[in-house]
Formats: sequence, structure tokens, C-alpha cells
Amino acid sequence: MNPFDIRAALLAKHAQHVVLIHFPIALFIAGVILDFLAQKTKKRAFAEAAYYNLLGAAISAVPVVVTGLLAWQFQLEGQKLKGILLLHLVFGCTSAILIWIAWGLHVRARRRLAEKLPVFRLGLETLAVAIIAFTGHLGGFLTGVNGSS
Amino acid sequence: MRRSVFIASLMATAVMGLSGFVAEHKSFAASAQEKPASTAEVKIDNFVFGPAAITVPVGTTVTWINRDDIPHTVVSTEKVFKSKVLDTDEKFSYTFTKAGEYPYFCSIHPKMTGKVVVQ
Repeated sequence: MNPFDIRAALLAKHAQHVVLIHFPIALFIAGVILDFLAQKTKKRAFAEAAYYNLLGAAISAVPVVVTGLLAWQFQLEGQKLKGILLLHLVFGCTSAILIWIAWGLHVRARRRLAEKLPVFRLGLETLAVAIIAFTGHLGGFLTGVNGSS
Repeated sequence: MRRSVFIASLMATAVMGLSGFVAEHKSFAASAQEKPASTAEVKIDNFVFGPAAITVPVGTTVTWINRDDIPHTVVSTEKVFKSKVLDTDEKFSYTFTKAGEYPYFCSIHPKMTGKVVVQ
């Protein structure tokens, strides 16, 4: 496949999920690091940057979930999953939900100007990063990026 | 005397012929029973179908076995056959009853391709 053939790249079966997944992973991890920095330094710039990174992660997670579910339905015809595929599905959905919850906490605090961000969000964001890392590892294993025998 | 020799030789010939027919029939029946059903095996390992292309006679049952740590599928490009997701050590078999070329691939890893040629 020609890497500059946009049509072929967009229509390639199962290619989109593998490409799109990098955006929420990178944006969320960057957002969490910035949120920790904001908490530690109390600088508004870090908090702003964290918010927009988390916003980007929450938005970009939507097409990732959709393309992942479509790949399951079309590539595997929705058959009952087991093993690594099932784990990837469950942890992938969990990751997306945690990303949306983390972003939701920031949105709520932003709308209510007087309300501070709850400290427990940092624990939730750390947990989300760990689950995202595990999901990504499984995904990489499925595609062969994370090693073959 | 001559007549009895003639009859005896006729009978001997008949017995030999009959025994020969029976022996041949037995060996034919035995060979028909002993002839194993034609089978072939394709191993899936390290993201490769091995051998990638095999040639088999009509009626052969080809078995794919996943020796990889990663799940794979075996899907005919022309939608002739399709396996479930095969985890490690799981198998999928298909009997080819018509001559032709049957290209296939793994739907999880579409770069993994193979071909069965049935003659």
C-alpha cells in the first residue's frame, strides 16, 4: 500500500482503530502529567493545559471506541470473544469510561468556578493511565507490535 | 487316463485361478481399507501460515493449527470457509471437494495470507 494514498489508507480494513488509538493515549497521559503539575505548583497555566489535553483525549476516545467495536463486528463478525481479545475489549471500554469521567470532573469544576477539583481525581487518573497502558500492551500484542514468539 | 489327467489339470487351474482371484480381492479390499483419508496441516506461527501455499488432491482435509501466542483466524478470500478466532493450539479444518485455488487470510492480521491449491 502506498503510504500517501489517502483513500487506500482510510478504506483499509481495521487500520483506523490502530492509528486513532495513539491520540487519546498521548493526550490523556499528557493531561494527567499536567494535572499533577497543576496540583503541585498551583499554576493556572498547567491546569488550563491539563483541561485541554483531557478534552482532546475525551473527544478522540469516541472514534477509537467506535472503530474498535466496528472491527469486532466486521472483521470477526461479532463472534463471542475470549482470551486476549476479550481482555482488550473490556479494558478498552473501561479506559474510555475512565477518560470521560476524568474529563467530566474537570468540566464540572470549571463550570462551578468556586468548586475546587477533587483530589481523588488524581488517583482516578493514575488508575486510568495504568489501565490504558495495559490495554495498549494487549492491543500491541494482538497486532504483533509488542512481540511475537 | 488321459481324460482324468485333463480333468485334474483343469481342476488345478480352476483352483489356482480362484485362489488368485480371492487373494487379489482380499488385497484390494485391504488396500481400500488401509488407504488413509488425505489430510494436510498448516501451522500458524509467528504471524505466518506455514506453508504459505500448499497443493493437495481433491477431497483433502486441511487442518490449520495455531501455534502462535496470539489469536488468529483463517478466512477464505472468496468466502468459501471461515474459522472462529483460534487461540493458541486451537485447530480449524476444512475439506476441499472441488479443484481450484483457495486464497485465504487472517482477518485480525490481513497481511497474513496463504493459499490452498486443490488439484
